[in-house]
Amino acid sequence: MMTKPFATTLDPATSLANHTGSWRTLRPVNVFKIPPCNKQCPAGENIQQWLYYAAEGDYERAWRILTENNPFPACMGRVCYHTCETKCNRGFLDESVGINSVERFLGDYALDHKLSFQKPTRETGKKVLVIGAGPAGLSAAYHLRRFGHTVHIVEQGEEPGGMMRYGIPVYRLPRSILDAEIDRIKDMGVTIECGRKVDDIIAEKQNGKYDAVVLGVGAGLSANVNIPQGDANHILTALDVLKEIETKGDIQIARRVAVYGGGNTAVDVARSLRRIGAEPIIVYRRNRDKMPASEEEMDDAIKEGIQVKWLSTIAGATKDSLKIEKMKLDETGYPQPTGEFEELPADAVILAAGQNCDLEPVKKIEGIKFEKDSVNVDSSSLMTDVPGIFAAGDMIKGDRTVTAAIGMGKHAARGVNAYLKGAKYERAAKHDEAKFEDMHPWYYSDAPKTVRPMLELARRTSTFDEVQHGLTEENAVFEAQRCLSCGNCMECDNCYGVCPDSAINKLGPGKGYEFNYDYCKGCGVCAQECPCGHIKMVPEKI
Amino acid sequence: MDNNQKGLEQIEGSLGVAKAVALARPGVVCAYPISPQTHIVENVGKFVKGGALKNCEFLNVESEFSAMSVAIGSSAGGARTYTATASQGLLYMVEGIYNASGLGLPIVMTVASRAIGAPINIWNDHSDSLSQRDSGWLQLFCESNQDAVDTHIMAFKIAETVGLPVMVCMDGFVLTHAFERLQLPSQEQVDAFLPEYQPREFLDPKEPISMGAMVDPDAFTEVRFLQQRKMVKALDVIEKVTKEYREITGSKSGGLLDCYNCDGADLKLIILGSTVGTAKDAIDELQAQGNKVGIISLKSFRPFPYEALRAAIGDTKNVVVVERAFSFGARGIIAPEVERACKGMGTHISTALCGLGGRAIYGTTIKDVVAYAQAGKFQEEFTWFDINSAVLNRYLKDSEGITLPDGPLAESQLCESVRKVLA
Repeated sequence: MMTKPFATTLDPATSLANHTGSWRTLRPVNVFKIPPCNKQCPAGENIQQWLYYAAEGDYERAWRILTENNPFPACMGRVCYHTCETKCNRGFLDESVGINSVERFLGDYALDHKLSFQKPTRETGKKVLVIGAGPAGLSAAYHLRRFGHTVHIVEQGEEPGGMMRYGIPVYRLPRSILDAEIDRIKDMGVTIECGRKVDDIIAEKQNGKYDAVVLGVGAGLSANVNIPQGDANHILTALDVLKEIETKGDIQIARRVAVYGGGNTAVDVARSLRRIGAEPIIVYRRNRDKMPASEEEMDDAIKEGIQVKWLSTIAGATKDSLKIEKMKLDETGYPQPTGEFEELPADAVILAAGQNCDLEPVKKIEGIKFEKDSVNVDSSSLMTDVPGIFAAGDMIKGDRTVTAAIGMGKHAARGVNAYLKGAKYERAAKHDEAKFEDMHPWYYSDAPKTVRPMLELARRTSTFDEVQHGLTEENAVFEAQRCLSCGNCMECDNCYGVCPDSAINKLGPGKGYEFNYDYCKGCGVCAQECPCGHIKMVPEKI
Repeated sequence: MDNNQKGLEQIEGSLGVAKAVALARPGVVCAYPISPQTHIVENVGKFVKGGALKNCEFLNVESEFSAMSVAIGSSAGGARTYTATASQGLLYMVEGIYNASGLGLPIVMTVASRAIGAPINIWNDHSDSLSQRDSGWLQLFCESNQDAVDTHIMAFKIAETVGLPVMVCMDGFVLTHAFERLQLPSQEQVDAFLPEYQPREFLDPKEPISMGAMVDPDAFTEVRFLQQRKMVKALDVIEKVTKEYREITGSKSGGLLDCYNCDGADLKLIILGSTVGTAKDAIDELQAQGNKVGIISLKSFRPFPYEALRAAIGDTKNVVVVERAFSFGARGIIAPEVERACKGMGTHISTALCGLGGRAIYGTTIKDVVAYAQAGKFQEEFTWFDINSAVLNRYLKDSEGITLPDGPLAESQLCESVRKVLA
């Protein structure tokens, strides 16, 4: 046993008597900010969290977290316009995280491994009727079933899926994927009755002794555009064309086809027609910048040889030619006619100028109110003005995308659940957004986005094979690891490592860290060195 | 080959020191390169990599601060530890330097003395090493490369016996880069002299201790008193270790100080470092002319050997300290210590400031100092001895309208030149 030098050597932990935390004027606290991707996601997915588990290689857990909000990851990984990626903070660093491609990987993983949803542990005995088996209705049914309610869906189409089946071409969403994800919802005990249109909703509710109804009527009617016709030029609607291609796999149509519109449906139709051998040309009254269609979809369309006539309206149609009026944009960006005309050879016109919902049966419900063409709903619970009747999807105000419909279905289900308990559903306030300026990105290494392989261009114009392929497991993990974990701890140990006072305790995997305020002097190094911006210094009350 | 010639090598001083360090079998060597220290650690690094120095961890660090931090860690962990630095590098590690001595860690560090910037200057003087005189380290100065080789080996034993770190100060370039004949002791000799390191205390997870934790006003003065006791004890240890080393190796190096030609000298020069060698040659020439001047080579600056120096000066009344650094706003750094040593003896002590920033001190410089002293011209305590007034006047004449006389300038001439401008 050695004799210890006086005072310079002491027993262990003797300095713990000195509570240096009392010197502190600033205190570190954890802040929980919502990552911009999560905030943006219309389906309210907890993207940052499922990316974390995907990056760890725990795909099932990632998938389970993902499907807490969205039961269609394999479909979403294909058709979602992934606006989350445009908000991704990684875009300030190199390129946004390929969230959509990882979602698809997880969705496909779950299908390959036959993962199923858990059945509710408790049946509430409440019955809910859902009208429409599109994304809004199916999402509502899924979430209602999770709450333990009995759910029956009535769908007027021959098969469930709504616009996912009748509006989205096969080359973007193979039907085997759609069917498999719908089957998984049915496996939870949701029943779907197809091929029947409900004309009297109130009678249906009463006869079936339903406690609540969720309306999920999609925009299945093409908007009409009046085009003066001389000789009968072939004028069709986009939805009819897509539906016919979907059900028959082909359509009898002329070679030179003008697709009139600038939205995603116009692009879907044009690309579909290209695949059956036609030569579509999109006619759009504004320019590319103003086009509402997804940029990626449009890029693909152009690559596939689809032509576009910008700043043009169809003023008239004859048997084999269209009268095109040139437009120009005014200072507000709105197209104005110029009085200049030209001829465009075309044997048919397909109208893709917007879609409407068939709301006739809804209008019959006494007390239900509308705002323009949308059903009026409570912004939180999505309940209509008629108690017990809720609405989601295209028929209410909001974006008309599959993802938005899924998000609305979720909220409608929560609204119903609260209603059935005699309460009212209020959405929780969102945390502040995690901004790139709040983060310390020095710690992230450069890692460019992984590009998903695509079907060869030459093959795209002749088959309806899926264009976009998925990521390999290795690439998906890499992509998930590119997540900056904005505003949320990823347990990188930086704070733990840099604290000069060893005043940060590690709580174990998944549990994060805690500050030991007895010894934290409030130097702020942890906050400065937290890559995620998860730590904030707040003044002590002195 | 007789025994005396065994181990005799014609090598660069830095290589000699590296070999000496390797003979001491350090467990950890860490350093950051800075001229003129670089060749020493480069060579130690080669020995480790090449396998000549076994059981030694050579750590590359990113700064002198890290070098000292690593040295503290490894020494606290129970390893014999060596590092080396110079000039700005020494200053950069100062916080660690004080911690090493406060913790009583027997680290050995070479300071290849070099001027401190600004303006930047890479040549030798003693402003770096003397700036650390209050750091609690022992500071041993070497007058030759042979002295440096031997002092490094002795330094480990002194440090480990006393329980304090040791700086071995050798003049940058003048010694580190000079090739000369060096007598290196054999490994057997060194092993007999310096046994395997047995740390008196070290960090051991099985028996945890807390080193350097906060000591409050209740005990801080006492901690410092105990540190000072170690310094005093070191005076004795240095002499004992030197004696032991000399007995084993036949070396003449080390000690608190070394007297040359001192018997009966009526003028004595006190010198630190490599200037001693130049001075000895000059003194020999003067001796041949019947002029008796003694040289006291001050080896140990910290602890300062007051008693030994008082005895070495004896009844000589005329003493000049040749200093290669000074204290801004004050005067010489060494002369006041000599004054303390000679208190009450009636000795006249003055500083001849020479050799700043690598200005060469020639034999003629030493002879001039002697002549100046013997003519009684060191009237004042402090004289800028080898200053070149022509260089100064080129600037001062235009800027302030004054000129300074040629030759050594006493402090009062400097003061007067300032007053002249103010008036």
